[in-house]
Amino acid sequence: MHDFAYHRPQSLEDAANFLRTAEDPLLMAGGQTMIPTLKQRLAAPSDVIDLAEVPGLVMIDVKKAQVSVGAMLTHASVASSPEVQAALPALAGLAGNIGDMHVRNRGTLGGSIANNDPAADYPAALIGLGATVHTSKRQIAADDFFTALFETALAGDEIVTSVDFPVPELAAYMKFDHPASRYAVVGVFIAKFGTDVRAAVTGAGPCVYREAQMEEALTRDFSPSALADMTISPDGMNTDLYAGPEYRANLVKIMATRAVEAALKGGG
Amino acid sequence: MGVDGNYKWVGKRTVRPDGTDKVTGRALFSADSSMPGMLIGKILRSPHAHAKIKSIDTSKAEKLAGVKSVVIGKDFPNLPNKTISIGILAANFSEMSDKLMARKKVLYDGHPVAAVAATTSAIADKALSLIKVEYQVLPHVIDVDEAMKPKAPLLHKKMITVGVDPAPTKASNVASRCEFGFGDLEAGFAAADVIIERTFKTKPAHQGYLEPHGAVVSVAEDGQVTIWCSSQGQFMVRSYCARLMQIDEAQIRVIPAEIGGGFGGKTVIYLEPVAMALSGRAGKPVKMTMTREEVMRATGPTSGTSIDVKLGATKDGKLTAGEAELRYQAGCYPGSPVGPGAMTAFAPYNLENVKTVGFDVVVNRPQAAAYRAPGAPMSEFAVESVIDEMAQKLGMDPIALRELNAAKEGTTAPYGPKFGPIGNEQCLEAAKNHPHYSAPLGPNQGRGVASGFWFNVGGESVASVNINTDGTAVVLSGNPDIGGSRASMAAMAAEVLGIDYDKVRPIVADTSSIGYNDLTGGSRTTFASGMAVCNAATDAVDQMRTRAAKVWDISPDAVEWSEGHARPAGPNAGDFEPMSLADIARTSAKMGGPITGRAAINAQGAAPGFGTHIVDVEVDPETGHVTVLRYTAVQDVGRAIHPSYVEGQIQGGVAQGVGWALNEEYVYGDDGCLQNTGFLDYRMPVASDLPMIDTVIIEVPNEAHPFGVRGVGEVPIIPPLGAVANAVSNAIGVRMTDLPLSPPKILAAIKNGS
Ligand SMILES: Cc1cc2nc3c(=O)[nH]c(=O)nc-3n(C[C@H](O)[C@H](O)[C@H](O)COP(=O)(O)OP(=O)(O)OC[C@H]3O[C@@H](n4cnc5c(N)ncnc54)[C@H](O)[C@@H]3O)c2cc1C
Repeated sequence: MHDFAYHRPQSLEDAANFLRTAEDPLLMAGGQTMIPTLKQRLAAPSDVIDLAEVPGLVMIDVKKAQVSVGAMLTHASVASSPEVQAALPALAGLAGNIGDMHVRNRGTLGGSIANNDPAADYPAALIGLGATVHTSKRQIAADDFFTALFETALAGDEIVTSVDFPVPELAAYMKFDHPASRYAVVGVFIAKFGTDVRAAVTGAGPCVYREAQMEEALTRDFSPSALADMTISPDGMNTDLYAGPEYRANLVKIMATRAVEAALKGGG
Repeated sequence: MGVDGNYKWVGKRTVRPDGTDKVTGRALFSADSSMPGMLIGKILRSPHAHAKIKSIDTSKAEKLAGVKSVVIGKDFPNLPNKTISIGILAANFSEMSDKLMARKKVLYDGHPVAAVAATTSAIADKALSLIKVEYQVLPHVIDVDEAMKPKAPLLHKKMITVGVDPAPTKASNVASRCEFGFGDLEAGFAAADVIIERTFKTKPAHQGYLEPHGAVVSVAEDGQVTIWCSSQGQFMVRSYCARLMQIDEAQIRVIPAEIGGGFGGKTVIYLEPVAMALSGRAGKPVKMTMTREEVMRATGPTSGTSIDVKLGATKDGKLTAGEAELRYQAGCYPGSPVGPGAMTAFAPYNLENVKTVGFDVVVNRPQAAAYRAPGAPMSEFAVESVIDEMAQKLGMDPIALRELNAAKEGTTAPYGPKFGPIGNEQCLEAAKNHPHYSAPLGPNQGRGVASGFWFNVGGESVASVNINTDGTAVVLSGNPDIGGSRASMAAMAAEVLGIDYDKVRPIVADTSSIGYNDLTGGSRTTFASGMAVCNAATDAVDQMRTRAAKVWDISPDAVEWSEGHARPAGPNAGDFEPMSLADIARTSAKMGGPITGRAAINAQGAAPGFGTHIVDVEVDPETGHVTVLRYTAVQDVGRAIHPSYVEGQIQGGVAQGVGWALNEEYVYGDDGCLQNTGFLDYRMPVASDLPMIDTVIIEVPNEAHPFGVRGVGEVPIIPPLGAVANAVSNAIGVRMTDLPLSPPKILAAIKNGS
């Protein structure tokens, strides 16, 4: 690690100011991705801005039609919140299956989506539920937020403050986790809002995406059998030390089918 | 005493003496020592799998402020190119030195080429970046079968295969050939009704110790060397450093730190001589610690292998002949465990006709190091898979087939000697009768069984038992405590002395405080060092009996020792009030001085261990994912001195074996460089990956040990590979022969049906 100045701003405004004025600033949430990148020398910031004491970022607000989660809420807190479990079990379940216990105790919603790892779980929930991201500057629809591999619509001095998740009629998330990191080799989030169905896929491609043919088929018939004859093309899918495109394409279909089954059973 | 006795401390679950410090974080591991003025040492490593070193320019690094010394290969003594033995180990110091710091060629990605010592870690890093190495990249070879091909790139231009008659005239990557067995294979196979032939592959697996290698080394102005490090043997470190650096053993003192796992991987050294060279030049102590990436790239995993097995049996299940050819990756220099692999392959079976041939093959990878039961998990995996398939072909129960052909007392082992009393049949019987074996299986589930055999070894050990005047005792032994050995030493000493366990304090002594001990390996510590502790305690008891005899004015032979007291042996000896250990110790100043029991032995009579494992798995037919549902491990340990640590050893071995079977593998790119250098990509199982591992301890005592000990630590990593592969094969109906059984591989097998 190289030397850097460490700041712990007490307001969102101060945090944003550091982002604007420091030479090479980097925000820190739980440090779960950020500290390893420092250790591997992939980043050498001049200033680290810890969001731990910025007020208002650790909140959960559960309403009938919407669950709002603060950017600094840890995965463990989301997973164990009785309100989230009741209103949106698919989201609580997703958070509870991220990484391991240590990662869940430190890792945050804001850090996860700002990082936009192609194998991260939360992006699937944001896309699958059609969420809205609130930042220090504006609101961004999830569909516009995740732009490319490790890229988001966030400006350099923009801070995620919270995410609003609409509560669907039915939803479930299923992932096949990497045996070591527990990141999604493939994860599929399925949600049904009345006649509207969303199917978000993470892990398979360079960035989370919606699988249109699945959404169409499930809109017609929200049942596992609706996906039975579907072929998922492996073109453009990720390959890594663990699995190649064909294996991932197969998983997309299997995880989607299982997510539909789980959603029909009440989600999770 | 006596192997069948009822014991007060042996076999009890006492609290381990090192437990509190390890739980509270007070225990000092290798990286925890520091000295005033200490420098940080770091190593520059080859980025190439195979290359000629054309030049190394360290001048810029040397000029950097804060850099105190820089060393490269030529700064280390050149040593004769021959293998010599030290205790239970054999080593070629010319090769060892070249592995520590490359001379003319780098032989694998991660091979050290230079090292620096500087006042801070950041300066040391900067210095490494200033060293210019010019390489001429050479073609490399990673896979063992590729390396054996006639046109393969050669690692060592002059290497002629040893063990082939007549000796080959051309150099190759095959360092040596070994052969074991007896009987008439042709006749054996002719008598068979069923013959199965298969080829198996396994990947290298890392020992995965949590504590990376580390050392603090101080070379003083008068040349005296002090080394703090964690290893499997402080005397191994001393012997190796003395020979590599050409100084007297008496000038080196190695102080063993606590060890955060070794599993065989710390029976070799990587940093200590480099730190010695750096410290000697700088005139200051040097600390070196590896990163996990360095551990993965440049310390020894066990060999990857390629193995052919041929097995014949009559239709009623009598095995008629077994044959295997084993090809093991040695890494960059000779030294794979193919020998033990070839010796153990068929050892659980009584075969009249058996032959195993092994090849030790160099490849552009880090040197293979020992890993629990070196060589055996792979060869026994191959054989146990074929045994399972044979049972299927014959329509027999797999344990019944094993029982019918089980090696037992009097059976000639495939590697030569006749077995004495062994627990192989007892393990099979216990497995067969275990409720696990008859529990019903659900859909997509499969059950696998496999046996395992390991020699266990003895070797040289020294122990002393100091009796304190307050009636307590300190036990000194010379083996690092890797799996709870302090607790076992204390229990055995307490048993012999007849005092309470918590009155005995076991100490792991440094190389200048106790005589020579072979390292902790081969499952020898509780057997051999335990025997030394028993003998030393008995020596102390004899001295105390002699003192009581003097007080009572009777012959020492008329004094017996029981429950911590000297007592007249029977009515003829006279009528005296028994004297306790504390009574005798209190008066030691008047009775001839301190009481110290000593033993220095080369322990003979190590007795083999056998185990049988049962595992149930469920395979997800749509993804190929395997869930381990239930695991039962049965093992003959001779005597469980401390059952908790015996169970811990068994469970740990199973966990590592399951990882080897299902997940762990080294992934090399086309450039010959390792791609998964950390635990995020190299998956070892964690608690949540495994069910509770049930253990069944069988005790067929080893008569050579005072309490019957055989050794525990190595057998349990052997059966899991075969057991898991058999279970998966049975669940999906396709024989799986290529480890690890990753989900993509299993899914492909399900789809292709082969
Ligand atoms: C071993 C391991 C396993 C993991 N497994 C999984 C898994 O299974 N599934 C999964 O989804 N994830 C997984 N993760 C990722 C983890 O869940 C975290 O979400 C992720 O690492 C981000 O961590 P963090 O919240 O601590 O953010 P940090 O590491 O502190 O920050 C990450 C990045 O986001 C930026 N950032 C942080 N907060 C904000 C904000 N409010 N506004 C704008 N930018 C911000 C930072 O500057 C940084 O660039 C794993 C991580 C590890 C280390």
